[in-house]
Amino acid sequence: MPQAPDTEAMDEHLKDVVQALHGAVNWAMPHLNDPKIVDKAIQDCKEILDVVIEGKASEWLK
Amino acid sequence: MFSDKIELKDFEKMDPEYRDLLKRVLAIQADCEIGGPHLYVESILPTAPTKLDQLIVARTAAEEIDHYRKIARLAGEIGADVSYVLSRPNQERYVDAFRGEITSWEHFAVFGFLIDRIGRYQLEEFIGCSYAPLERILPDVMREEAGHIDFGTTKTAELAAKGGESKAKVQKALDYWYVKALDMFGRSDSYRSERYRHWGLKRRTNAQAREQYIKEVNPLIEQMGLQIPDPDKGRHYS
Repeated sequence: MPQAPDTEAMDEHLKDVVQALHGAVNWAMPHLNDPKIVDKAIQDCKEILDVVIEGKASEWLK
Repeated sequence: MFSDKIELKDFEKMDPEYRDLLKRVLAIQADCEIGGPHLYVESILPTAPTKLDQLIVARTAAEEIDHYRKIARLAGEIGADVSYVLSRPNQERYVDAFRGEITSWEHFAVFGFLIDRIGRYQLEEFIGCSYAPLERILPDVMREEAGHIDFGTTKTAELAAKGGESKAKVQKALDYWYVKALDMFGRSDSYRSERYRHWGLKRRTNAQAREQYIKEVNPLIEQMGLQIPDPDKGRHYS
């Protein structure tokens, strides 16, 4: 079966991305009254998501 | 109608039409999954009304990215590289609803209420489908999609219940997304839709799915005290 190039590597990379996002959200959820923690988590998510939205997939796997 | 269950090892033995249709439907699904975050992350993540809402926006985007990953993996396994949809401009997306940008909380709420619900309809098409690896990823994806729909529905209802300017804004967002939602089902006389069903890759005709959707959302819109938009105004497909 001919597999598309980078299928495995992309899958692993995106798993890490999703895990990092969930990690940041789950860390902040119990601390909604602590702006320092929540703002840091939102900022971390924004930075991760900006890279995904930019979509330069070939650079992710270098 | 084709009713066998096809595994990855069988894929190369399948009719070329089946292989083409499966690759196409996976590419469109991948495009729709990643198309959501492209619509709302930039404007809505920093501006959502509360910190909790901001975190939910981030979690929603994470889940859509994970749905993209699962679909992209299935596509990759059959030789289709769909990574091009990660960076394509919104204006080039397969589906019209993803060709813009969401810049207000009202639009984000209604997007969840109406468009994520279409996502559920699209995924329901694959329940019992002939490509077994696709059916196997459905439970987790559909559970998360249901969460997005619930959030969008709750927020839309809350915004409508506030009345005044809030209700007017959410009605405007509803008018915008309702016709896009109906168009997402495609043409009622679509030949390709018939071929998808022939090969067991979809279950309903476009018209059947659209009709069921209308029967589901119209009562919800009325319960929120909002007006059901004109279903024909601005439509591309019928």
